[in-house]
Amino acid sequence: MLRFKDYAYGNKQKRFMPNILELRDLSRTYKLGDEVLNALDHVSLTVEKGQFIAIIGPSGSGKSTLANIIGGLDKPNNGTVQIDGQDLSKVRDNKLSTYRNQHIGFVFQSFNLQPHNTALENVMLPLVFSKLKRSERKKRAKECLEAVGLGERLNHKPDQLSGGQRQRVAIARALANNPSIIIADEPTGNLDSAKGAEIMDLLKSLSKQGITLIVITHDMNVAKQAQRVLEMRDGKLTERRG
Amino acid sequence: MRFSDYILISLQNIWRQKLRSALTIFAVVIGATSVTIMLALVTGAKGFFTSQFEANGVLQQVVVSPKADITNYDEAQHGGGGNCDSCVKLTDIVANKIEALPHATGLARVLTSGSVEAIKLGDKKLTVNQVKGYDTNGVITRTMVAGRDLDGNDKTGVITVSSDYADKLGFKSNYGSLVGKKVDLITRNWYTGIGADIPKPQMQPGANNEPNNKSTVLSATVVGVSDSNSDSQVVRAPLDWVHGMNMNQMWQPDEAYNQAAQEKCQRRTPGPCNVEQKLVLVSQDMVERNGYDSFVVKADATSNTAGLVTEIKKLGVGAADAQSYIQSQIQIFNIVGLVLGGIGGIALLVAAIGVINTMVMAILERTREIGVMRACGAKRSTVRALFTFEASLLGFLGGIVGIAVGYGLTRIANVFINKQLASNSFQVHNIIALPLWLIVTVIAATTVIGFFAGLYPASRAARLNPVDALRYE
Repeated sequence: MLRFKDYAYGNKQKRFMPNILELRDLSRTYKLGDEVLNALDHVSLTVEKGQFIAIIGPSGSGKSTLANIIGGLDKPNNGTVQIDGQDLSKVRDNKLSTYRNQHIGFVFQSFNLQPHNTALENVMLPLVFSKLKRSERKKRAKECLEAVGLGERLNHKPDQLSGGQRQRVAIARALANNPSIIIADEPTGNLDSAKGAEIMDLLKSLSKQGITLIVITHDMNVAKQAQRVLEMRDGKLTERRG
Repeated sequence: MRFSDYILISLQNIWRQKLRSALTIFAVVIGATSVTIMLALVTGAKGFFTSQFEANGVLQQVVVSPKADITNYDEAQHGGGGNCDSCVKLTDIVANKIEALPHATGLARVLTSGSVEAIKLGDKKLTVNQVKGYDTNGVITRTMVAGRDLDGNDKTGVITVSSDYADKLGFKSNYGSLVGKKVDLITRNWYTGIGADIPKPQMQPGANNEPNNKSTVLSATVVGVSDSNSDSQVVRAPLDWVHGMNMNQMWQPDEAYNQAAQEKCQRRTPGPCNVEQKLVLVSQDMVERNGYDSFVVKADATSNTAGLVTEIKKLGVGAADAQSYIQSQIQIFNIVGLVLGGIGGIALLVAAIGVINTMVMAILERTREIGVMRACGAKRSTVRALFTFEASLLGFLGGIVGIAVGYGLTRIANVFINKQLASNSFQVHNIIALPLWLIVTVIAATTVIGFFAGLYPASRAARLNPVDALRYE
């Protein structure tokens, strides 16, 4: 359910864009032995639909934790996560899984493709968990691969594809279920700069089509392409440029 | 996720680890095959056993024994003999009373004689344990493979032999030629029955039942060859003849004559008078003394045998029907089946451990993949179901192959058993069958075993934290 937001929490600017994402006062702690680690320390964030934001920060600063909570893979200890007006911080695994399936597309640094499956089968994976017919799944997966420029590589297995192509397959997989948010954790980390730039162009084009894009990176060249840059440091989030 | 997706993904995963899956399935196959064969053997043997009884009409019979406290059919048949303290003599009067009971449609008196030692034809001589005589009124019937069964017109001098004897006398697969042949029944040397030549004691008058130490040869015509059954070394003869064989003939002083002679002598010459004792041959009817060995009573229906047993027991004699005997025999098959099935069960248990091991390994290997699946929207329950399904599929495939192997082995076993049955002139063959219920049961059992073996690994997979799983190297 979309909600028009006139006075977003922590952001007093008046706009007429719906907020797709609203994080309030998020905390996430880990216990390492006797030590308590604050991965997220009272983090609040509002993101509008279709925005491209970059989250930067040194490793261990909590940026991946933040991405995982937004993506519904993890839950905060405190605070609320509202996505499309829905609070995720309290829902159970089943609902969270459906949420990931319907709203989120993940892109990982190491692609995380199933090595024994073809590009097409990899892209079909999120569709398997939806209630689509097999023929429709195939059709949709094909469209997504065509959209990332791999229409000719449907039946190639990951080891027959280059790094850039593999990441394109991963992006196609993230697109398969028409997500509202794509979360990319170091999407160019395993690629050379030319291939990385191509992948970023692809992601930006998706953002222009209205998909909210959250990129986690420590590469400033990547970050500066975003509309907003946020920095995580010791579990605290600060807006660098917005 | 659709059911077909579970099948497809599980098959893909099984196929990916061909060797490991094959070894795991192989373990299940061993268990399934052994259980299949054992169940098939026991079921086949049980069916064969019961059908044999049904064919003989034995299920309709009640065996009456002089021993009142007999508990089963087998004991009634073999524990006879009327030589116990608590025994009630089986006389013709008892027989008439039993025949008058409701549901009793016929009665055959049974008498055996152990006085024949051997059967001889030409130069072939075979040991005989027993000559069995019974009323040839149709209550006790034998399946004949050649000639005819004994009938009411037979009195003495005719016998039927089992195919065992016919084989050993050299008439294997040519039983017809034995019919009509005259054979010699050679008695034991203490024989005093019908046809015995008892020498008159010369030295000592009044000698009582002295063994004559000489075999008697009784001539008999073979009228039929019967289907062999468990009691080999038995020759069957009409009741009258066996009755005669059990006669006890002996020389005894003729007391009346001797007394008269003594008095006559003393009248003639006073003082001690030595008169030659006169001996006469008397025969004692042992049946009159001991009764018959047993009666076989035919009930009007199989379901009435139990009631008939109760009624007969009221007369003070022992009685049992074959039902209880069959029950106890089948009980043996059940126990054998249980033991053998237990061995197969242990094999299946080991196979289950193999499945658990395989699945735990698979989960370790596929941790990252599970993470990706979770990120793509797989629920915990989906992951759990997927791995449980995969384990069940391993069990299912093992069951299918096990049944196939088991089927092949029972076919081979049947070839050998058929030969054995044919050589014992049984008409039945292929007694080890694989009924549908057995096939379904075995496959269902291995599938369920796979399912249970998959529960633990699957719940481990489902419990994986997706974040950790994605980071897993």
